[in-house]
Amino acid sequence: MTSSTVVASSHTRTALRDPVLVLPFVVAAGLGIGWLGSDAKVSGTRVAVDLALAWALVGASLLALGRARWRRSRFLLIASAFALLAADLRWARADSLWTLGFLLELLWLALLVHFVLTFPDGRARSNPARVVIAGTYAAALGGLVVGALVDPRPRDVLGVAASERLTGAVDRTEGILGIAIAVAVVLLVARRLPLLQGAARRAQAPLLAAAALTVPTTLLWLVSVTVTGEGSPTLETIARGVGLLVPLGLVAGVTWSRMGRSEASELVVELQTEGAASLGERLARALGDPTLELAYRLDDGRYVDATGQPVELPQHPSRAVTPLTARGEEVAALVHDPALLDEPAVVESVRATVGLVLENERLAAEVRSQLAEVRASRARIVAATDAERRRIERNLHDGAQQRLVTLSIALGLEASRAHGAKPDVLSRAQDEVEEAIAELRELARGIHPTLLREEGLEAAVEALARRTPLPVIVEGSIGDRLPDAVELAAYFLVSEALTNVVKHASASEATVRLAREAGTLRVIVTDDGVGGARLAADSGLAGLRDRLEALDAQLLVESKPRHGTSINAEIPCGS
Amino acid sequence: MCDDCDMAKRVLIVDDHEPFRTMARSLLEGAGYVISGEAADAAEALAAVVADAPDAVLLDVQLPDRDGFSVATALMAMGGPAVVLISSREAEDYGRRIGACGARGFIPKSRLSAAAFAALVE
Repeated sequence: MTSSTVVASSHTRTALRDPVLVLPFVVAAGLGIGWLGSDAKVSGTRVAVDLALAWALVGASLLALGRARWRRSRFLLIASAFALLAADLRWARADSLWTLGFLLELLWLALLVHFVLTFPDGRARSNPARVVIAGTYAAALGGLVVGALVDPRPRDVLGVAASERLTGAVDRTEGILGIAIAVAVVLLVARRLPLLQGAARRAQAPLLAAAALTVPTTLLWLVSVTVTGEGSPTLETIARGVGLLVPLGLVAGVTWSRMGRSEASELVVELQTEGAASLGERLARALGDPTLELAYRLDDGRYVDATGQPVELPQHPSRAVTPLTARGEEVAALVHDPALLDEPAVVESVRATVGLVLENERLAAEVRSQLAEVRASRARIVAATDAERRRIERNLHDGAQQRLVTLSIALGLEASRAHGAKPDVLSRAQDEVEEAIAELRELARGIHPTLLREEGLEAAVEALARRTPLPVIVEGSIGDRLPDAVELAAYFLVSEALTNVVKHASASEATVRLAREAGTLRVIVTDDGVGGARLAADSGLAGLRDRLEALDAQLLVESKPRHGTSINAEIPCGS
Repeated sequence: MCDDCDMAKRVLIVDDHEPFRTMARSLLEGAGYVISGEAADAAEALAAVVADAPDAVLLDVQLPDRDGFSVATALMAMGGPAVVLISSREAEDYGRRIGACGARGFIPKSRLSAAAFAALVE
């Protein structure tokens, strides 16, 4: 017994899920209601409008909502159609059926509001939408239960507390609640419409617009309910007739979104055409979803974009992720509007088409990603080296140099007190210590220039020029301080270049020019020496290559025999 | 009384390296200065100036809590004593900051002598 019940109920559910099986039921229910209507001498127009609306809702749901993702929405639409017909049970002769129809009178509207506010996946997107949906069900069902308890009409089998006055009050309250809900629905739709774009806009905008258009007539009817209690039957018929816009909007949206996408064959052509646009851009255009992004999967499971920058795949239901595979392995993921999933054939044709192009682009993205990683790691290594140099300089200064200085003063003091007793030895010792201090200072300065840190590049380069045993002219200015890495690279470059001038160029003078232009620091060191310098692999300048390349800097050495040497560096400095 | 005009100048020594302070004390005392106190950092130095009102301060540039330039500027603002900056680095390493902080002058530690000090504070 139990098992057969389970089978039966699951059978019912299958029938509801399989949309086509619903057709005979809704046709039969419609015909039954039509017969009840003619038996009760209800106006033919009203009967026709109700049947048209119920059948149109079911028809549109079968036509437009064939996808698994739309199951909830389809259920809501079909339920609304049956609820609409159930409300017309009031045309039946039996009082119990009249009462049932009375209780269900507004359920179809609540289901329709639920459908419109949660289309296309049947899930509410915001808390206000959830509140409006819950409020609509409460007003539609709760209000009518209270209405049935107080209704004085003899056909009402639930009218245990019949009261004309209470019935009027309940009807008016229902009318006012209805008006509030209609306004809230319009506001929610108006808020959502401008946010839609691409595939989602094509699929949803016509339905939302149609739903908004049905509100004025529904409002008129609700106002008549509020004023008279019973409501105008003509206005009710008109409101239901205008309700036909909802299934029309649904069908229009689905038709529009089918038109908005290239046919599969056009897609093949579009994707295989070589062009300036990236594969991701071409896919976005071909699928009509401007929000579409293509993320390439690396071997280690991370995703990157076409430039090799890391990408996080979204987890949010507002974005869909479709993996693309080649030879059974995922090579990329499409991140797109969930609305695209409603046309699986299109996504399938993308999978079939993009294979080779995708593999090439994925490899390119992987190389770019590795390159970016290498560059980042080189920048980190240079920065770590600089920090270490700075630490060593400080240790030399705070440690050995400090002690030597104290020793030097002590020796000086002793020498002045010795009054003739071996002052030579003491003062020679002091000279030695002074030499050691001077050498240590030069060493520390070469490791990390304090003046550069304290005063910036211009001052440090001027000091370099003063210490160079040859006239050096420093020209130009660079204004504000630059990033540490840029200042250090420029400083070491000038230092190395001036050292080379002194050692090899036989020059009579040198010039250092500093200029800042359009996000670049330009450093030029020229001399009037013998020329013939080049960037040999073991030269000091070549040793600066990692430092310069970590900053994306360009280094150019021009040195013709007897025409001097010009070293020209362009270092990007951000601003 | 002539004793008053000949009264020895009182000097505060500020350096975080204790052996250096001892040397500097011997050096300056040998030349007739009176050491009003010693301080190992900027906070101690400012407190000592308020408490002892020295005539001059021998001030290391690199102190553990703040740099000597800002201490010199603070002492200037207080209308305090003459400040002579010292460092184991060269004047060149600090560029314009020495001139801008209000100190009387700068002596590299390795060339510190009573004569060099006197030339700046007398």
